[in-house]
Amino acid sequence: MAEEFASAPHFVGARIPRTEDSRLLRGEAQYLDDIQIPNLLEMAFVRSPYAAARILSVDSSAAWNIPGVRAVFTFADMPFVLPQNGPSPIDQPVLARERVRHAGEAVVAVVAESRYIAEDACEAVHVAYTPEEPVLDMQAAQKDRPRRVHDAAPNVFYHQEYETEGFQAAFDTAPHRLTMTFQTTRQTACSLETRGIIAAADPFSGRMTVYCGTQSPHRLRGDLAEMLQMEEHLLRVIVPEVGGAFGMKAATYPEYLAVVQAARLLRQPVKWTADRVESFLSDVHARDDIHDLEVAFDQRGQIIAVKDHLMADGGAYASYPFSGAIGETSLAAKVITGPYDIAHLSTVIDCTYSNKVPLGAYRGVWGPVASFVQEGMVDRIAQFLHLDAAEVRRTNLVQPNQLPYRNAAGMLYDSGSFTESFEHALAQLDYTRWRATQEQARRVGKYLGIGLSNFVEPTAMASSEAGSIGYESCSVRVEPSGTVTAWLGLGPSGQGHETTMAQVLADQLGVDLEHIVVLHGDTDAAPLGGGTGGSRSGPLGGGAAMQAGRKMRERLDVYAAHMLEAAVEDIAWEHGRAHVRGVYARHVSLRDIARIAYNDVRQIPSGLPIGLEVTERYQPPRPVSFSNGTHAAVVEVNPSTGQVTVLDYVVVNDCGTLINPLIVEGQIHGGVAQGVGAALLESLVYDDSGQLLTTTLMDYLLPSAPLVPRMRIEHLVTPSDGALGVKGMGEGSLIASPAAIAGAVNDALSPWGVSFERLPIAPRDIVTSLGRSSAAPV
Amino acid sequence: MYTAPFDYRRAHDTQEVVTWLQEDPDNTKIIAGGHSLLPLMKLRLASVARLVDISQVAELQGIREDMGGLRIGAFTRHAQLAKDPAVREAAPLLASAAAVIGDMQVRNRGTIGGSLCHADPAADLPAALLALNAELVIAGPGTERRESLDAFFLAPFITTLAADEVLTAIVVPRMVPGAKSTYLKRPHPASGYPVIGVAAWVSVSGGRVEDCRIALTGIGPVPFRAARSEQVLTGRAFSREAIAEAAREAAGSGTLEDDEDGYKSQLCQVYVSRALGDIAQGAG
Repeated sequence: MAEEFASAPHFVGARIPRTEDSRLLRGEAQYLDDIQIPNLLEMAFVRSPYAAARILSVDSSAAWNIPGVRAVFTFADMPFVLPQNGPSPIDQPVLARERVRHAGEAVVAVVAESRYIAEDACEAVHVAYTPEEPVLDMQAAQKDRPRRVHDAAPNVFYHQEYETEGFQAAFDTAPHRLTMTFQTTRQTACSLETRGIIAAADPFSGRMTVYCGTQSPHRLRGDLAEMLQMEEHLLRVIVPEVGGAFGMKAATYPEYLAVVQAARLLRQPVKWTADRVESFLSDVHARDDIHDLEVAFDQRGQIIAVKDHLMADGGAYASYPFSGAIGETSLAAKVITGPYDIAHLSTVIDCTYSNKVPLGAYRGVWGPVASFVQEGMVDRIAQFLHLDAAEVRRTNLVQPNQLPYRNAAGMLYDSGSFTESFEHALAQLDYTRWRATQEQARRVGKYLGIGLSNFVEPTAMASSEAGSIGYESCSVRVEPSGTVTAWLGLGPSGQGHETTMAQVLADQLGVDLEHIVVLHGDTDAAPLGGGTGGSRSGPLGGGAAMQAGRKMRERLDVYAAHMLEAAVEDIAWEHGRAHVRGVYARHVSLRDIARIAYNDVRQIPSGLPIGLEVTERYQPPRPVSFSNGTHAAVVEVNPSTGQVTVLDYVVVNDCGTLINPLIVEGQIHGGVAQGVGAALLESLVYDDSGQLLTTTLMDYLLPSAPLVPRMRIEHLVTPSDGALGVKGMGEGSLIASPAAIAGAVNDALSPWGVSFERLPIAPRDIVTSLGRSSAAPV
Repeated sequence: MYTAPFDYRRAHDTQEVVTWLQEDPDNTKIIAGGHSLLPLMKLRLASVARLVDISQVAELQGIREDMGGLRIGAFTRHAQLAKDPAVREAAPLLASAAAVIGDMQVRNRGTIGGSLCHADPAADLPAALLALNAELVIAGPGTERRESLDAFFLAPFITTLAADEVLTAIVVPRMVPGAKSTYLKRPHPASGYPVIGVAAWVSVSGGRVEDCRIALTGIGPVPFRAARSEQVLTGRAFSREAIAEAAREAAGSGTLEDDEDGYKSQLCQVYVSRALGDIAQGAG
């Protein structure tokens, strides 16, 4: 890979603390709600109290009479929709149109001089409803029971079938078959900073500036232009500091259209920020999936065929532009065999509408579900055959000589370290020692369990929740003073791109890190790009930075060769200075070159343009690049209280070339924390009438610091054949961790023969399933 | 999440509090630390026309000795309870319960009176105060009455306190000399409230349990005394068997809702057993 660097790599691969941290840790960062704009109005929403109802009338006269109220809008005032881009014709209205289809759906928007007044006015709006029977069960919904969510379309809005040739014969003739049903419960990303948006017209140009914590600044601009029938070049999207996004902030939401339209109609800046209750009721949900699965295998545990009916409850509308239900199931169906060599696969997918919040993207999307299914299936086979769980995995793992490997669904695993990462994880964990400890502990009434989770992570895909732009872009400008400014089309929300992209550029340009500033999130400045999502920023953004840096470097080399009267190929760079290779005494600085490029342009070498600016776009050689790894967890389960304690946690991660191991490890820490939540805590609960019961952080349990295990992380490096050998890694840790923890809990409970196939596993579930007789106080 | 408009008054003596309550008892609320009331108002689950702030009422503050026990002003904050030498000496069970309420911010704002009057079924202090046989001093229009805490909690968030009454003090008898106590809670992973909290003290004489008191919070609709467990223990040797038997009786002493699967009964048994075990081992 060395030849990919224009200079010897000093920065890529180094553990460099994040440039961003100083302002974040000092509290100096500016989030959406910190932005001060004169005459800013605030919006609040009247939201549906019913899961399903007909709107009879809206009486907003009392609201209009409250001093400080500037406008009360219904759908009639803003007749816009978020178009459905899937197979179903059902659009999502900006404000409810005739019907409400989930509790929390925005019905009326109130704009006032303050949020206080706006909320008071919301209480004064009287909406008359006729409640209808809600559709809440996805399996009944598939048969349009109890009714259709949308009269115009059946509840099943996405159906796919796939089967490998010869599946049935292989399945029927296999020595053993097991049936199981895996289920994951609704979760949501729960970013620390809630969603929000400000729209403010620029009185000079007449353009509209939109501040929004989105993951895809250019796509949001395009969406707003299209949906609100505005000219794209009259819109500017600026992304302030974003306090967590996790895929949830990739979507374009009805509230965003309402705010921008209100600012147009009122000719005054308008803001909306979600409170936490609104977040639960309107941020996309995720992970509402059922897998009815049958697996066929031989006496060694070699898996022969997998048959899976994948179901997801998509909620009331397909979230724009990415339905989480389709994303979770269609991708899971392609990677449900994970890193295991399974020849035959049969999948059926059904995604349905319901009277719940739309399902969208949440970090890992399909992955945490599919890994939980895939590893649970392997554990059940091991249990059934009385084989060691590690041994069954060894039997099934794709071997090094099989790579590149095309799985049964047709996905190509370009490269990876499946067996190596698994063996390293077992060694790191000291698997055999823990097995012995587990045995001893059981004799004294303590129940330990070991969970193993091998994962594949498709990254750098052309299409993700961030949109369908298969490339990323980078502009680089060497300023007249010789410092470097770069812009990327990404939409980071804590991933540290200002640091990592600078590392890539520093190596390409031969300058030091502190002379590079990386900017993003302003559509007026950044080149058009796809944004951040689907683990694409490292491989695609990094590729764009590399390519732009290299292009600039080629130009700088010509300058330096000209000025030093040497051959271009003899020029070397260090610390922002070019010298003739081996002759350090003869050098020119980047500053010297920049002075000529901008201010002494008659000295520019012939054939080069004036100035030092380039914009490059990078498209990877493959449509997808696979990262992989292994998580291993050891837990203790107290059978009398159901409490689970994680005792040990090991991660072996292979994402190809690491740009910055510190940042990679930070991503892994966060993903494992979220995995603890997915496996043990987080659950959005609806009651029988379709009310969401978990609308505060008192009810929706997030993992807090003491619940997050200390973890040991080892890196393996199997480079991709893309730029720098980088693979994406934003999601793998959350893909693997719920399966590892759930597997460990199930292993701990194996003396009872209990195995949970539903997440999260709550203390009450454990105690109840063990039965009162078997549990004694300890 | 902002509150509806409300009127705010700061009272300077108890009489003023009662007078203002009397003016519009149904729409007036006392605010002490505000950590329970304000979130409800922000969620617009509570609508209050007038808040009466009692933070400047001197009579409601302070802890003093009172007929061999403690008289604790209703506006005493949790953090004060946890560190007050008199409380730690006369009623260490109360100090240890106060020390594990919520987080530091909650303990620095929240008050003993606020906790009792709000009557959240998952509050920590009621268990300790039930176990300590506390008595409440309540002021109303022209009257002052005393009431045992045993009778105070009627239902979740509902007490015997009338709309025009104010809790002024909590009288806590001195613990039996030599008694050992503990407050053991399983904090809710999100809120820190007890999923179950067990307050207990035991005095042992000549190897036998001379007296004891056990109270539970968080697990039922109202906090309750485990009277049947107390009966099992009293007069018995403080043995592993006695503890196990007492623990089995804990759930039956109160009302548990939503316990068809026996999970809550199980938690009562486990945590009473652990709490008594801690006391037996001197860890309390």
